[in-house]
Amino acid sequence: MAKLIELLRKHALLVIGIILLIAPHITSQYEFYVLQRGVQNAIHVVGLLILTGYGGMLSMGSAALLAVGAYAYGILLVKFGLSPWLGMILATALTTIIGAGLAFPSFKLSGPFLVITTIGFGEIVRILLLNLEPITGGAYGLSGFAKLFPNLQWVYYFMVITLMFVIIGTERIGRSRLGLALKAIRQDEVVAESMGIDVRRAKLVAFSLSAMLAGLSGIFLANLTGYMSPDSFTSAESTTYLLMVVMGGMQSVIGTVISAIILTGLPEVLRFLSSSRLLVYSLILLVYLRLNWVKSDNAFLKFLKSITKRFGMYTSSTEPGNRS
Amino acid sequence: MTIATLFQLILNGLAMGVIYSLPALGISLIWNASGLFNFAQGDLLTLGGYLMLSIFGALKIPYIPAFVTVIVIMGLLGYILSQIYFYPMLEQGVNPQIILIGTIALSVFIRNLILVIWGSTPQTYANPFGSKVMQIGKLYLMPHVIGIVIIVTLLLIFLQYFLRGTMIGTAMRAVAQNQTASWLMGIRNDRMIALTFLLSTAIAAVSGILISPIIPLTPSMGGIIAVKAMSAVVIGGLGSFTGALVGGIVVGVAETIFATLVDPAYRDVFTFVVLVIFLLFRPGGIFRAQISEKV
Repeated sequence: MAKLIELLRKHALLVIGIILLIAPHITSQYEFYVLQRGVQNAIHVVGLLILTGYGGMLSMGSAALLAVGAYAYGILLVKFGLSPWLGMILATALTTIIGAGLAFPSFKLSGPFLVITTIGFGEIVRILLLNLEPITGGAYGLSGFAKLFPNLQWVYYFMVITLMFVIIGTERIGRSRLGLALKAIRQDEVVAESMGIDVRRAKLVAFSLSAMLAGLSGIFLANLTGYMSPDSFTSAESTTYLLMVVMGGMQSVIGTVISAIILTGLPEVLRFLSSSRLLVYSLILLVYLRLNWVKSDNAFLKFLKSITKRFGMYTSSTEPGNRS
Repeated sequence: MTIATLFQLILNGLAMGVIYSLPALGISLIWNASGLFNFAQGDLLTLGGYLMLSIFGALKIPYIPAFVTVIVIMGLLGYILSQIYFYPMLEQGVNPQIILIGTIALSVFIRNLILVIWGSTPQTYANPFGSKVMQIGKLYLMPHVIGIVIIVTLLLIFLQYFLRGTMIGTAMRAVAQNQTASWLMGIRNDRMIALTFLLSTAIAAVSGILISPIIPLTPSMGGIIAVKAMSAVVIGGLGSFTGALVGGIVVGVAETIFATLVDPAYRDVFTFVVLVIFLLFRPGGIFRAQISEKV
């Protein structure tokens, strides 16, 4: 059993890929939709992982970047009549540029101040989307744009392939110069800078990469739903994405992907909770944080902790230097 | 636009501003005592408002006893939260980022708890200050505007006395200045930090109670108020008592004037733009707080 788990962990990427490719054939239409949303969220959340997990910069404005990607795609197609593929490229580029702009406050600010800035950015985007009615459709939302592929199944396979590339790419980034630089910045920015790391450049690249993936994910979201409204991009959504990163272990790409897919599907399983799904999420997160990061002699707490360990959630405390 | 209307706008903005000031003050107090930025402050405020809705609006308990009950309940909640959740993490020297995520999770938790218990429809209860418009000269004022300003002023005088004039308040300030030294002086750090949480949750609750006549209660109301309170904290200067107060009033008055003169739809955008400008060019706020990291 232990060996099997070891084997599965070693080839996690392969396993996930196979499961995702088989899944459309064995799921019902509704389950398939949820799975699509899961994959789409995973692309976005992996981007957030580069920023938050590697770089240690919390962002509460990630849903806004998603919105920028989705709306840019929709507007380019509906108002300017571009072809979907061109629209996709331009929308991703636009989101990346805006995301890179978000990096500039991060040069000066850290911790809570950066979080406030990103919350502010998220709210500004949401209010603009609501009020610039001639362009964005306001509260009525935007619809009627063409899709990348005529068939949703093809969109799904395209997403899965993108996700695979994103996973491999992000893991490589994690081991590359950039990833190591970001991890050093997370642990101590001053030391990192004195070691000769170009902190600004690393932050800029991290923000841009994460925005690019958010933009891509937004475009896929537009493709999946065919309709968007400002309500789908509130700060509560940003919190959910942040939660997916934390539950995925903050460091592991595969863990993040799995947690994104599971947390997207969880509300469907927990149907009976309907409006309180976020209640359950946040409670799990609260308990998880408390158990994982605080040593305790209490037998019951230790028992709970052993459960979270068994599920394979990555404990950051094993990594040296994570405790400040 | 006459002077009278401007004056009226300023007074209305002032009432809104002091409501932002109180959670801002709570954020500042906790930041000073423990270096923790509490993102759940806005939702604790909402919870206070909803408790008042149940106790005063539904159970028909008179205003002042209901007011006191809510504050006591919320204060206890803050104390317990600190003792079982935040202090153990602070004590172990957990990465501040993780605790930050903890407060964000707490905020989501409280918001959804309210949603589950009280539902999502906006609710309000009878205005305890009466809803008859008062006329003073050319000014038209709602009585609650005056009520709010008076209650908050009294609260601030009490807080100032508590922090400066009593032994416990001095101990709390000592912990905020230097934890090791105060520990050596025989002060229980955990209790003092828990007391700070108690105080800041209780004043957030006051703000939640007072807000009801101005805007109806909704579960997600805390989010936007929290951002305004954070703006107030940043604009005023994090960690400063006066800063939080002045910041809140500046935000309240400025956005009320902007909403009337320019466009109410972009009121929040205006506040955030001001906030971002402050963060970028004067992150210490009006009363320059020390925010750059010590090497």
